Parts: sequence; C-alpha cells; structure tokens
Amino acid sequence: MARFVLERLLGMVLTLFLVSIMVYFIMELPPGDYADRFAFRKYSGTGVTVTEAMIEEIRRDLGLDRPAYLRYFDWISGIVLRGDFGMAYSFLTPVTNVLGDKVWLTLGLLFATLLITYAVSIPIGIYAAVRRGSAADYGLTVFSYLGLALPNFLLALIMLYCANRWFGASVGGLFSPQFENAPWSLAKVWDLVKHLWLPAFVLAWSAVAYQLQTVRATMSDELNKLSVVAARARGVPETRLLVKYPARLAINPVVSTIGFDVNRIFSELPIVAAVLGLTELGDLLLKAYLDLDMNVAGAILLMLTTIIVVMNFVSDLLLGWLDPRIRMGA
Amino acid sequence: MDRLLSVENLSISFRTDEGPITPVQGVSFGVDRGRTLGIVGESGSGKSVSTKALMRLLPGSASLSPETRMRYRAKNGETVAIETLKPRDRALRRLRGGEIGMIFQEPMASFSPVYSIGNQMIETIRLHRGLGGRAARDLAVEMLAKVGISSPETRVDQYPHEMSGGMRQRAMIALALSAGPALLIADEPTTALDVTIQAQVLDLMRDLQRDLGMAMIFITHDLGVIAQIADEVAVMYLGTIVERGPTREVIRRPLHPYTRGLLEAIPAIDRLDARLKPVPGDIPSPSQRPSGCPFRTRCPEAVPGLCDRAAPRETAVGEGRAVRCHLHDAARAAA
Ligand SMILES: Nc1ncnc2c1ncn2[C@@H]1O[C@H](COP(=O)(O)OP(=O)(O)OP(=O)(O)O)[C@@H](O)[C@H]1O
Ligand SMILES: [Mg+2]
Repeated sequence: MARFVLERLLGMVLTLFLVSIMVYFIMELPPGDYADRFAFRKYSGTGVTVTEAMIEEIRRDLGLDRPAYLRYFDWISGIVLRGDFGMAYSFLTPVTNVLGDKVWLTLGLLFATLLITYAVSIPIGIYAAVRRGSAADYGLTVFSYLGLALPNFLLALIMLYCANRWFGASVGGLFSPQFENAPWSLAKVWDLVKHLWLPAFVLAWSAVAYQLQTVRATMSDELNKLSVVAARARGVPETRLLVKYPARLAINPVVSTIGFDVNRIFSELPIVAAVLGLTELGDLLLKAYLDLDMNVAGAILLMLTTIIVVMNFVSDLLLGWLDPRIRMGA
Repeated sequence: MDRLLSVENLSISFRTDEGPITPVQGVSFGVDRGRTLGIVGESGSGKSVSTKALMRLLPGSASLSPETRMRYRAKNGETVAIETLKPRDRALRRLRGGEIGMIFQEPMASFSPVYSIGNQMIETIRLHRGLGGRAARDLAVEMLAKVGISSPETRVDQYPHEMSGGMRQRAMIALALSAGPALLIADEPTTALDVTIQAQVLDLMRDLQRDLGMAMIFITHDLGVIAQIADEVAVMYLGTIVERGPTREVIRRPLHPYTRGLLEAIPAIDRLDARLKPVPGDIPSPSQRPSGCPFRTRCPEAVPGLCDRAAPRETAVGEGRAVRCHLHDAARAAA
C-alpha cells in the first residue's frame, strides 16, 4: 500500500507541475498584457498621450518585461512557498484578498454536491439493481432519464421559483443579508448550509441520474457473479451478503470517476451560479479574463485544476483501498 | 443404508423471454451418508440447476414443480423439507454451507477478488462453527494445510489473484469444508484445471471425503472421473436421469444406449490410437424437447413408433439400479 500511495503521490505532483505550466501558458495567451490596460486606466481622461516608452516603463515596474520562464518561476514559487498568488492588478491588492472566501465557498459547494450525489445515487442504484424489474426500478429509471434530459439551469430556475413561492425562502446567494459580511460564527455556517443545499442539489441532479445508472448496471452485473452465488451457498445472510460482496464492487466505477464529477461540477457551476445569484470563482474568472487581470485568472484556474487533480488522487487512493488487485498492481 | 438426502420428482421450470422451459423433469436420486454420488451428463443436461435447487440457489425466474420432494437429514437428526424453506429461514442458512457445502467449476470466480482467502473462510467459520477471532483463524489455517496448501499461515492472508488455479481450487475446497458440511456438492471442480492438477485435486477430494466421513455429489462430463471417485452414478440426459446404479455395475454393464455411448467415448489407455467416439449429434435445447424418449433423436437403437410415442418410465433393475428405456422394458417383457 505504501508503495502504491507513493507512486500515485509522485504522479500527482508531476501532474500538478505540468498543469501549473499549462495554466501559466494560458495566462500568457491573450494578446497584450496588463501594462497596456494599466496605462489606459491611469491616463484615461487626463489628456496625456500615452507613449510606447511610458507603457514600457509600466511594464518594467510590474516586472512584465522579464522572460516568461522567470516570471513563471516567480509566480509558482510565490504560490508554493508563501501562498502568494501575486497582485490583482485591477484592484491593486493581493489576489488572495480578491478571492477571499470565494475559494472556500466553491469548495463547500463542491463537497456538498459530491456528498448529495453519492449519498443518493449509490444506495438507490443498489436498491434498483436488487429489485430489478420492479415498479420501483422502472420509476427510478424514468426519473434518471429525466435527470439526464433536464438542463440544470432550467432546474435551478424551477427550484428558485418553487422555493420562493412555497417557502418564501431567500435562496439566491449563499448568505442571508445579515450574514453577508458578518464574521464567521455557528449561525453563519448554518445560514450557509441553508443556502448551500439548493445549488448543491441542482448541481448534483444530473450526476445523481448518471451515477445511479452506473451503480445499477454494475450492481446488476455483480449480483450474477459466481462469487455472490458461492457466498450465498455458504449461508451468508442476504443483507450482509449484498453489502459485502456485490455492493462493495458496484461502487468502484463511481469512485474511479470522482475526478470527472468534479470536473463536470466546475463546468456547470458558472451558469448555475449565475441563475442563483451566487458569487463564486467561475464568475470572477470570467471578469478577470475580460480585464486581462492574469494573476487573478491564473490563481483561479490553478485552484480549480488543482482541486480536480487532487480529487483524482483521492479517487485513486480510494480505489486502491477498495480493491487489492489495483493496490497490488495485478 | 443411512439416507442423508433423497430427491424425488424434482422438476425445474424457468420463465424465459421465449416462454417457459423445463430443463429438469422428474429427477429422483439419493445420497447415503459418507458415500459419493456421481452425476454425469453432457453440457446443458441440467446437472448444475438440479444441485442448485438442493441449496435453493436458483434465480427468481425458476420454480419447482409441486411434486418435488427434497428431504435432508440434518446433523441434529431433524429432517428438512428443502422445497418448503423460505428464503429468510434460519434453517436454510444453516443448510447452506453448514450442512451442504458447494464448490464450483471456476475457482477464480467463486472467490470475491477483494477479500483475502482467510477473510472469506473466517466468515464461514464464524457463521457455522460459532468460533471467533483467533480460533476461527487457526481453523482456517488448519483447513488450508489439510488441502495441501504449503505455508498456510501466509497463504491465509493472500488474495485469490495471488494464487495459481490449482491452489485456488484447493482453497475453495478448504473454504467449503471449513463449515464442516455433511454433504459436499462438487460441480465439475476439476474441469478448469490442467490434467496433472486435475488428478491431484481428485485424489485430494477422495482422501478428504474418506477422512471426514462426508458424503459427496460429484458432477462431471467424464465417466472416467466417475469411475475413480463415485460409489453410485446417475446418468443425466436432457433433464432426466436415464440410468442410475452402483458405479461398477453401470460401467461394467450399461443398460441405456446413452450410457453406452458415453462409455465408448472414453479414450482407453490401451488403444490410444482408436478415435474418440463421442455420442453423435447434439443435445437438443430444453425448449425443443423431442416427443417420447428425450434421447431418441440421437439414439442408434431408437424404434420408430415406440420411442417417439411415450416417454419411458424408470424401471428398477436389481438392487439400487434403474433405467429409463423402452428397449429395456421390451426386452424384459419378452423374457
Ligand atoms: N437462469 C436460467 N434461465 C433459463 N434457463 C436456464 C437458467 N439456468 C439454466 N437454464 C437452462 O437449464 C439447462 C441446464 O443447465 P445446467 O447449467 O444445469 O446444465 P449442466 O448440465 O450443468 O451443463 P454444464 O455441463 O455445461 O455445466 C440449460 O439448457 C439452460 O438452458
Ligand atoms: Mg453445470
């Protein structure tokens, strides 16, 4: 196991390194740099004619004239060694201040979504497979096709309407107004949970539908395995048998696709967030790109990709823990 | 004799997409304590489903006919009516494993790949022997040693994929025996193994059976294997037993044309050059059962007008012997 963990860990570090280079490359991609934009901001309306020399000077001040690999090195070492993501040029304040709580909120939303996804899809998928062909099974199948077919921004709108109509709850945003800028407290966390479940539910919707089908399919396969019949022939009580033998293996494909789920959640997040009025990282990322505020954009991209890579690592570890054949490299 | 298990009129039907089929019809056999019954027959003749019925392991699409009687004399002296057991009955759980053990053709697939051999053995020991912790583990190690697995203390913690095919089948035997069954059902336990290992496993099973005084139902395609291991034999064809009796007598003087065909198909050592003569033709599918005698479509001696009219009854022939064939009945009537 130690060897397995070490291998995956090395793999993850290497991936993160490559990802950081890619992110930096993407940051450099848009034409022009912040120097132009800075000059424009500084001198617009002052009547001063901006010359190439002035822009050059700004560029030197911001350190943008140095070769790309040096700037990459500064950037990444600042992040790794000091947690310093550089300056958000358009706000003239460190990137970390701009991102602030949004990182944690995005993470919270992510984990809440994953939790709902797995807590719902795994037991129900297993149940549907065990009761295969029953009314409940057909019902769940119809539901999950519905889940796959309904775009989640539409679902978000429907939920928003229903929640307002029947619960009178303020579901937009992540906090009630009185907590928006309040310091963290238990009451604030509870307020967050109350606001979090709706977007998490919306984001989990299609993932539940998809993973439910996956679990149902693998569980159906596993139920017919000889090893299950053999365990039954040894007199293992049925409920324990289902959990220990087929169900244990039926969650493998779910565990191995955690990374995909995270990826998909991040892709769906901006549109859901826009509908539900959440301020999260995706929204900020878009703005940063429009402003060419590359340190902010880079920090966000790097965080999102890091989360995906780390979750892939976690998924690998879980899979190795669940399945000795993988752990032992057989 | 001390009857451990008796099966009468076992008929099994399946609901399928093409309508109901009845791959096993009116099968009767018995097993005495400490003896071995061999069941032989071609693929699809219904050997596996018959023994699965004994453990109530058939899928939900299967049903037993109302005439089916399966009586098992449990260790505590009670007689269990297997066909009446409910899926959640304690008696059924005791029967499975504790009274009747089962090993299958594919040793790899019989183990769950994600638990160690020891984990699955200890689970069984806990369930049926009431032992826990250290004692259960010790017994598992002891059973592994008994089936001839070297360094059982380390093997017990290994996973199925770390073992060779022959060793896995030995471990499977140890797993079944660890519950201490009075009857072991072995469904083609050596078919997936290569020839030398087959012989070893066969020897092992014979020795274990003698040592433990256990009864056995041994299923195979191969009458040669039956000759080595079984006291009694039942020859199965298309879901019915066409001939049964003490192994030596059946082999010396087969009465049913199908049994004769199977015997001729065994390549003899002293005439290896002689071509293997399998019974010609293919076994029909259960959905296309021929009228009359099920074997008549392949029988070299079939009599038109007789064999296609009615299914032959089982006729007793001497002590513990029976055959199901019109020709035999006709010959007897003539005599
Ligand atoms: N779950 C099922 N549903 C429908 N039919 C089945 C099912 N299981 C078995 N059968 C039918 O029962 C017949 C007998 O099958 P069985 O597995 O008992 O044969 P067998 O004698 O064990 O053959 P083999 O030597 O290949 O193991 C087959 O022809 C098959 O069509
Ligand atoms: Mg079979």
